[in-house]
Amino acid sequence: MELTKNITLGVYLPGETRVHRLDPRTKIIGAFILIVLLLLARSYAAYGMVTLFIAFLVFISGIPPGYALRGLKPMLPVLLLMWIFQLFLHQSPDTAVLFRWWIFEATEAGLHMGNLIILRVLFLFTVTTLLTLTTSVVSLTDGLENLLKPLRSLGLPSHELVMTLVIALRFVLILAEELEKIMKAQMARGVAFDRGNFIQKTRKIFPVFLPLFIGAFKRAEELIVAMDARSYTGGKGRTKMKTLHMGRVDLAAALIMLFFTGLMIYVIVTYEPFI
Amino acid sequence: MSIEVLNLSHSYKIGTPFEHKVLHDVSFSIADGQFVGLIGPTRSGKTTLAQYLNALYIPRKGKVLIDGENTADRRADLVTIRHRVGYVFQNPEYQLFAPTVGEDIAFGPTNQNLPREEIDKLVKNAMEMVGLDYETFKTRDIFALSGGQKRRAAIAGVLACRPKVLVLDDITAGLDPRGREEIMDVVKSLHQQQNITILFISNSMDDVALLAERLLVMDNGKIIMDGPTREVFARTEELRAIGLELPEVSIIVDRLRSAGFQLPAGILTVDEAISEIAAFLKDKEAREQWS
Repeated sequence: MELTKNITLGVYLPGETRVHRLDPRTKIIGAFILIVLLLLARSYAAYGMVTLFIAFLVFISGIPPGYALRGLKPMLPVLLLMWIFQLFLHQSPDTAVLFRWWIFEATEAGLHMGNLIILRVLFLFTVTTLLTLTTSVVSLTDGLENLLKPLRSLGLPSHELVMTLVIALRFVLILAEELEKIMKAQMARGVAFDRGNFIQKTRKIFPVFLPLFIGAFKRAEELIVAMDARSYTGGKGRTKMKTLHMGRVDLAAALIMLFFTGLMIYVIVTYEPFI
Repeated sequence: MSIEVLNLSHSYKIGTPFEHKVLHDVSFSIADGQFVGLIGPTRSGKTTLAQYLNALYIPRKGKVLIDGENTADRRADLVTIRHRVGYVFQNPEYQLFAPTVGEDIAFGPTNQNLPREEIDKLVKNAMEMVGLDYETFKTRDIFALSGGQKRRAAIAGVLACRPKVLVLDDITAGLDPRGREEIMDVVKSLHQQQNITILFISNSMDDVALLAERLLVMDNGKIIMDGPTREVFARTEELRAIGLELPEVSIIVDRLRSAGFQLPAGILTVDEAISEIAAFLKDKEAREQWS
């Protein structure tokens, strides 16, 4: 068993492509715009556009497409369940009934709603994964912090907020590794996690979480001590070793993004939404 | 119980850009009742290999046979295999989770669905084997134990499953000298009195030299040496080339030898060194008296 294999969120894949070289701020703003466009898109034509654009991004960032999508694998059963729920339970006044099953009716509106949700989750996930795969933790931190700086005067502790976020992201992998170790130790003592019915399986999970939480608290404490030992006091008076610079690549990226946004707005406005 | 590993290879994170090979075509076998040491620099693949022996990993390339039973066989009962080949992890005390020592040790037998009295008996036996008094420690809070005691409790948790083979993954690491000695005594009696076959993975050459009759040396996912402990440690230069050393005692004895002490080569344990040096000193006195 190997749990960390399917975790791509928060993993950085070092590279030298143009996407890697972009200023983190450009990438964060770009990802943000993409997400907003995604939430506005309600026609298959618009999703077709997004698919093409994201495929283009994956291609120029040199990330193996299979790997970019890998993190979705553990989520597939949940997505499927969501799709089925929407198909049968979505309420809409005048819609064609596709077929009936027992007391449930699969409606056309439900089908579209299910598709919409799946597509959204799929692309939201891919966009954020793409961002973390091509941006190291350090530059991600710097970029986010820089972007949130204006909010500092409103009393938002931007540095601390970003630091917390980044640590949380790092802990995803660390906790997955820890979980794998604990599960293996219990398998070694005869627990068969894949045996039994749903309730039996769920009951086997509880003894796993106790050592996991204890371990997490222990790690957090160690981290505090390590930060303290290096005189960390938060964002106040903190200087940066590397300063951020926008370059030619960023200008090109901004232009591409602008063009795509314009195109998307056109598509969103002209094509009739399916829901 | 015998263990046979044939042409085993393993890669981590298959199908991702982080894929890397950790085991290359590994083959060896361990006969019933042997005490085998497994040494090698960090990241040489020792732990990965160990996790194949009790079917935590199932081979994709190569075979692992436990008493002739192929772990990759769909009909193989992995739960039984894992009970017969006990595996004690690195830092096993981190994985203790029940509130009391007794409950934690009972975890394995409980998974076997044994009757209550049987479980109690197994827990008692296991605790005695590792030198934890049943009455005193049965209801003791896990967090109230010392490092060495926690580790012995963790070993007892594996022993309660009645393994025929034990794979011990660096179980003396991070203990103080007394804790280490206690653990080594436990391991010794498990092998000599309970007749348990042992694969002892360690970064401490001293511990390995003390108990192992045969040594496997790994480097970069391959087994590069396999032979009686004494013969392996005689290949000093090859061991140093991959970053391993001789036991501390052997290094001291070597120094004495180059300083003119007439001691035999290949001394590996403190006890051996003591008796040889004593013999030499007595002999020297005798010679001086004669002259």
